[in-house]
Amino acid sequence: MIDLKGISKWYPVGGVKTFVLNGIDLSVREGEFLSIMGPSGSGKSTLLNIIGLLDQPSEGYHYFMGEGIHLIKEKQRSALAKAHIGFVFQAYHLIDELTVYENIETPLLYHKVSASERKALVADMLDRFQIVGKKGLFPSQLSGGQQQLVGIARALITKPSLLLADEPTGNLNSKQGEQIMELFKTLNEEGVTIIQVTHSEKNAGYGSRIIHLLDGKIDKEEQGQA
Amino acid sequence: MINDYLKVAWRSLVRHKATSLINLGGLAVGMAVALLIGLWISAELSYNRGFAHYDRIAQVMEQRTSNGVVYTNDAVSFPMGDALRTNFGGDFTHVVMSSFPNDHILKIDDKVLSVHGRFMDKEAPQMLTLQMTAGSAKGLDDPHGILISASTARTLFGASNPIGQTLQIDNTLPVQVSGIYQDLPHNSDFSGLGFIAPWSLYITSESWIMRTAAQWDNNSFQLFVQLADPHSLEAVNRRISTIKQSHIDKEFQKYQFKEFLHPMSDWHLRSHWNDQGLQAGGQITYVWLFGIIGLFVLLLACINFTNLSTARAQSRGKEVGIRKVVGCRYHQLLGRFYCESLLLVSLAWAAAIVLAGLALPYFNRIAAQQIRFPWTSPLFWLVCAGFAGITSLLAGSYPAFYLSALRPLKMLKGGAMTGEYSSWSRKALVVAQFTISIVLVIGTLVVYRQIQYSRDRPIGYSRNGLILIDMKSPDFYGKYDLLRNRLMGEKAIADMAESSSPVTSLFHTNNGFSWPGKDPGLDGFFGTVWVTHDYGRTVGWTLRQGRDFSRAFAGDSSGVVLNEAALHIMRLKDPLGKEIRWNGKAYHVLGVVENMIMESPYDPVRPTLYFLDYDNVNWMVLKLNPAQGAATSLAKIKAAFHRYIPAAPFDYQFADEQFAAKFATESRIGMLAAVFAVLAIFISCLGLFGLVSFMVERRTREIGIRKVLGGSVFSLWRLLSEEFAALIIIALVVATPVSYYLMAHWLARYVYHTGMAWWLFAIAGCGILVIALLTVSVQSIGAARANPVNNLKSE
Repeated sequence: MIDLKGISKWYPVGGVKTFVLNGIDLSVREGEFLSIMGPSGSGKSTLLNIIGLLDQPSEGYHYFMGEGIHLIKEKQRSALAKAHIGFVFQAYHLIDELTVYENIETPLLYHKVSASERKALVADMLDRFQIVGKKGLFPSQLSGGQQQLVGIARALITKPSLLLADEPTGNLNSKQGEQIMELFKTLNEEGVTIIQVTHSEKNAGYGSRIIHLLDGKIDKEEQGQA
Repeated sequence: MINDYLKVAWRSLVRHKATSLINLGGLAVGMAVALLIGLWISAELSYNRGFAHYDRIAQVMEQRTSNGVVYTNDAVSFPMGDALRTNFGGDFTHVVMSSFPNDHILKIDDKVLSVHGRFMDKEAPQMLTLQMTAGSAKGLDDPHGILISASTARTLFGASNPIGQTLQIDNTLPVQVSGIYQDLPHNSDFSGLGFIAPWSLYITSESWIMRTAAQWDNNSFQLFVQLADPHSLEAVNRRISTIKQSHIDKEFQKYQFKEFLHPMSDWHLRSHWNDQGLQAGGQITYVWLFGIIGLFVLLLACINFTNLSTARAQSRGKEVGIRKVVGCRYHQLLGRFYCESLLLVSLAWAAAIVLAGLALPYFNRIAAQQIRFPWTSPLFWLVCAGFAGITSLLAGSYPAFYLSALRPLKMLKGGAMTGEYSSWSRKALVVAQFTISIVLVIGTLVVYRQIQYSRDRPIGYSRNGLILIDMKSPDFYGKYDLLRNRLMGEKAIADMAESSSPVTSLFHTNNGFSWPGKDPGLDGFFGTVWVTHDYGRTVGWTLRQGRDFSRAFAGDSSGVVLNEAALHIMRLKDPLGKEIRWNGKAYHVLGVVENMIMESPYDPVRPTLYFLDYDNVNWMVLKLNPAQGAATSLAKIKAAFHRYIPAAPFDYQFADEQFAAKFATESRIGMLAAVFAVLAIFISCLGLFGLVSFMVERRTREIGIRKVLGGSVFSLWRLLSEEFAALIIIALVVATPVSYYLMAHWLARYVYHTGMAWWLFAIAGCGILVIALLTVSVQSIGAARANPVNNLKSE
């Protein structure tokens, strides 16, 4: 599904290039559950952003769903991301002025889905995450775990084939975190490719493959428990 | 989709109540001002439009040239009317001679009323398309008929039918009411016209009028015409321009008389001619002026709106980032933000309409108008809606484009809004706002100084406790000694006199004077005032040379008193005793008095000659006893008048009030300018307040860090405030030359004008700087004093 060859990203600081990613080669098959680990500053989030088509590498080849990302224009890139990728953020990033229902509905507005269909899809999602009673509440009225659930629901509403999660349990306590990881496991079993960035060994273990980044390079790779 | 946008827009407004209120408040005030000015301008432009023949009616004006200066006047001579009818009959549908409008006494049985009215040719009702509520528009055909306005009818006759009843005008002319017309609209030059009596009656009412029937050089009447072809104005002007010049005596031809038509559409707005005889604006100048001010105030409010919207970018960036990540396109984001602008602008409009409605009575009072809200006019609402649309487009564009172009990743990382570009344009806008405000403030100050300067000009007489009474009917005449002795005996007055012009106007000017050493090429028009012996003492003029009129010298009946301006023009070295000839009669100079300002306080005093005459007088002037209260004195005077002149209502004016009325226009301008200046500053400071709060929010961490490192409250306050202080100073630097230029231009219209001292600009600048700093300090001091622990908590 995803092929990265020789991906590097640097920032010019003064006259010197500061490398965040340095020659990354990575392949991800469909249906995989990949965990990316590494210390702070190792470039994990940057790598995830590049995979998610939110950012562009300074050099390298990037293939996604058979398309050469480094070859196509911005417009096509965002169309591709819109169609296949769902993003879950560490800080949830919900729109504070919208209710839970409306937050989940938001991606559908940009996918040309009719109103009645939207209603049905959101209702399904609320059911699945068992937050039907909370659909009229605003993010500020929810706990951290509930907000993250909403974030994941939003990422999933468009039925993406790839789910990217940047430290999804970072702001949650252990019990809530476990809940989320179990959810990911279930999703993966249903066929969604998942790539997560995490600090926690325990969480990383849910994945079928774990890669460790150090100073912008892949340090080592290992198998997970999945 | 739109629903969605509106929902989010509304909720986002409610969440940030403080900002929204500031934004809304500033915008609403700016719009209310624009609305009021818009209504005022439309009222000014609609003057006289109530007349059906608006585009055909004109007044005949005359110009003469004397010593290189062109004088323009609306007074014409008796033969003019017939000359137009005879020679140019085809060009005009109606030719209507008229007396100058004046207050006349109307008496029915015991009821006596002072009514403003005219004597006009019988076609007047047709020309003015009077709406008759009773009787006939042909009522003036009857030489003893009179047409009265509906309000006059109500006051004089109450509920009974006025038609056919007999009235007396000025206690001498009996007339029968032959028609009642609806009151003429307030915004017309004929408003307040209480009656119209026949011209044919007028010319027999006083002997002097018929004497002028063949005199081309006596201008004592008005003349109105209705063109047959509304497009023929230019052509007709050319044809009639030399009509007087060709009839006048040879010796007067040097004045190059020129007649022309002043169309009704110009009466209200363009009634000012310069001394080259060219039309030089008039009220239209103020229409332009306030139109521009209104637009600028609106601009200020829009600048506020833009500034505050972009300043909030940081807190909005997150939403933009999220939406972009889930697939929102650029144009959809634009739509989202335009919707929010439209919502805010619409709310502001609603608030503005309420504000304007509430302020309208006060505005009417200041502007001396009777503007009404056109609730029922669809055009009004259309214009409002259009305006709201345009404002939200203009004000909302910049924030919409700016926010929609933000990069999602930066936003989601919580990246600080470092964009220096954005901060640059905001700063430029703040400078623009304060420049406009400073210009307005300086303008206001200069207007007030000009008024003060003119008020302080030595007036040449003593205007306190001086009352003026119009001698409207023959009953007023021949009572001079009677009234004077009685009132002085009762100690109601210090003195009393009569004169041909009240002390606050100069009605008559004449030429044809000669004096020793006169330059033959010079032909001056002098003001001429006929007075009684006691005039000088009554008004308190100051003798510079010689003496006042005195009963001790019988020869004073051919005496004349000059004012200093006359002396200057005549260039007489030792004027006392010198002979001045006029109309074949010889006068000798008794004395010279200090110039009295009888006309405009902004113009030089006209050279004037004062003659002794007890018959040629029209106004009584009484000096109230200063040792007594005015109310007491007036009561005694009223009683005396009722005794000796029972047939006339007792109407009087205070000279100082009449004089103050000369400043009416400038006072009005000054007050309006002051109000707008205050509002402009208010709006600008609102905007500043909002900006400061965002700056403080943005620099919260920086402030906390500096405090921890040892910064004092004062140094922090200075840090936060200095960039704004710098902006205000830049605004001051820009505003000074601009306002200097503008005000110098305005002052040049007045012959007597004040200068513009440097401290004027300094005061305005310092004042605004202080106000702005206070606004900034409210927030920056609070921020400087906050506990750093709160600021430095990480999210």
